[in-house]
Amino acid sequence: MLMTGEQYIESLRKMNTRVYMFGEKIDNWVDHPIIRPSINCVAITYDLAQDPEYADLMTVKSNLTGETINRFGHLHQSTDDLKNKVKMQRLCGQKTAGCFQRCVGMDAFNAMFSTTYEIDQKYGTKYHDNFVNFLKMVQEKDLVVDGAMTDPKGDRGLAPSAQKDPDVFVHIKEYREDGIVVSGAKTHQTGSINSHWHIVMPTQAMREEDKDFAVAFALPTDAEGLYMVYGRQSCDTRKMEEGADIDLGNAKFGGQEALVVFDDVFIPNEYIFLKGEYDFAGMLVERFAGYHRQSYGGCKVGVGDVLIGAAALAAEYNGAQKASHIKDKLIEMTHLNETLYCCGIACSAEGQATAAGNYQIDLLLANVCKQNITRFPYEIVRLAEDIAGGLMVTMPSETDFKSDMKVGKNGETIGEICNKFFAGSPACTTEERQRIMRLIENMCLGASAVGYRTESMHGAGSPQAQRIMIQRQGNIEGKKALAKAIAGIK
Amino acid sequence: MKCGVKFCGGCNPRYQRGDAYRQIKDELDDIDFDYAQEDVPYDQLLVIGGCPACCASHEQYTAENEVIKMWDESHIESVKDELLKRNSNKGE
Ligand SMILES: Cc1cc2nc3c(=O)[nH]c(=O)nc-3n(C[C@H](O)[C@H](O)[C@H](O)COP(=O)(O)OP(=O)(O)OC[C@H]3O[C@@H](n4cnc5c(N)ncnc54)[C@H](O)[C@@H]3O)c2cc1C
Repeated sequence: MLMTGEQYIESLRKMNTRVYMFGEKIDNWVDHPIIRPSINCVAITYDLAQDPEYADLMTVKSNLTGETINRFGHLHQSTDDLKNKVKMQRLCGQKTAGCFQRCVGMDAFNAMFSTTYEIDQKYGTKYHDNFVNFLKMVQEKDLVVDGAMTDPKGDRGLAPSAQKDPDVFVHIKEYREDGIVVSGAKTHQTGSINSHWHIVMPTQAMREEDKDFAVAFALPTDAEGLYMVYGRQSCDTRKMEEGADIDLGNAKFGGQEALVVFDDVFIPNEYIFLKGEYDFAGMLVERFAGYHRQSYGGCKVGVGDVLIGAAALAAEYNGAQKASHIKDKLIEMTHLNETLYCCGIACSAEGQATAAGNYQIDLLLANVCKQNITRFPYEIVRLAEDIAGGLMVTMPSETDFKSDMKVGKNGETIGEICNKFFAGSPACTTEERQRIMRLIENMCLGASAVGYRTESMHGAGSPQAQRIMIQRQGNIEGKKALAKAIAGIK
Repeated sequence: MKCGVKFCGGCNPRYQRGDAYRQIKDELDDIDFDYAQEDVPYDQLLVIGGCPACCASHEQYTAENEVIKMWDESHIESVKDELLKRNSNKGE
């Protein structure tokens, strides 16, 4: 059953999710002005699936049930599916100019499906069945699932088992006949609060001494003992200002990250997907990261599309659109953005079937994709800021633009003064210019910059993590052989 | 004539596909347009793509005539003409 955006929002109200922000428990987090934009962002993944103009990307037939499901719950069955995933993410980025949060779950599903299959093959465990049953439920109910990988990690120089406080990595605290009790936390969790369930995975490859930390499982977001502390974003309290609209830049949509705490949470056996088979932790991480590095070749491109459009409008509103360097900068932004898309499509087109049957991306190309993502959005932002001019960060508030307070010698109000001095080209009203400047601010250094900039840097792994993979997959020996053959070296 | 309509997913359309469809539909009121469904047989299938890849899936639908595809605003007129022609052929 496909839910509508409204039904999704209503489904969240039925949950007893524990959320804390600014030192307080937030009971009605669904309608909280700081949180709601991120919920709207997920809701649009439901609404687009209902729209015939987008359904071809947003929905797909499940290989598990034969039913039409939201693509965010799908196991990729072909390279076309992998490409369609990237296209869907671009679309969602275009419609929200923010992080729509649902891809971490999708990437976890695909990594978990193939890894549990291989664990079972080696150890005779039943994790794959557990996972497939779980995913069928997710698909049938059209749920949002957070993919929770990153642990707080404490001292980065120490292994999980060597940490002073074991809670800095999620671990099994107690083994029971009917399940396990887990303790610890996951940081930076995208969309955690407005997910129905979480899939928890280890954050890195593990050794034998880290056995208790090699654990993967699913649990409902309102499970007993689970709670979240909401992550601050740049300019977040602007959303609390009365009547805030223009100053938000993007009033409707936004992203969300949280600290997720596991305060001795019981996980029944049927939701466990890895329990001590430490030699598979690395495989799971590598696969999840691979899919997620592909994801950014879609979502960040869609957001980039909006930023390029905003920069082009800013140029028009400033009256500078005919300048050749402005045109060239827009070309450069487009070139960078489409290069990212090329990477997303390329690693999908070169994908291959796993032993379990679902498709995975080409890992080398997915890592190249993400490495470029750690750079190009920053350059796109730099060019957008160049084109926009300083007004995007120095403009008075929307309250000033609307103020009736008389301040001028001839009785001019603050609003009149702002409208006089911030008028640009006759092609736009001052308010339109204000709006586009605030949108650029929002994406370049406001709330959406969390997703467009810093998430581009660290999300799915910091740049060095990709370089290690590129080194591993890059086939330097093969390249040396090519050079030797041409140079006549035996 | 019963015409099933299928849009591509719209990841980066180069024109307003919905507007193009409305323009075609509004001018051809003899034709019974509907969003394509799998278990419904159509006389005609119209696939509206947003770019030359025109990647919308349509093999799952059944239609008597060969599928008509468009992926550019400039196709609107020729699509209208072709649909009109096929509609009048059906009437004969
Ligand atoms: C906006 C945002 C959203 C995110 N969403 C999710 C999510 O939904 N799910 C999820 O699981 N994760 C998520 N992440 C987490 C992301 O995967 C991590 O940020 C990333 O793996 C880096 O970890 P870290 O932030 O702890 O940085 P650190 O690990 O502290 O890295 C900081 C720097 O130190 C270097 N470094 C760290 N350890 C070592 C070492 N041992 N040796 C050498 N150098 C080292 C790194 O290369 C990097 O340069 C998100 C992150 C962001 C910013």
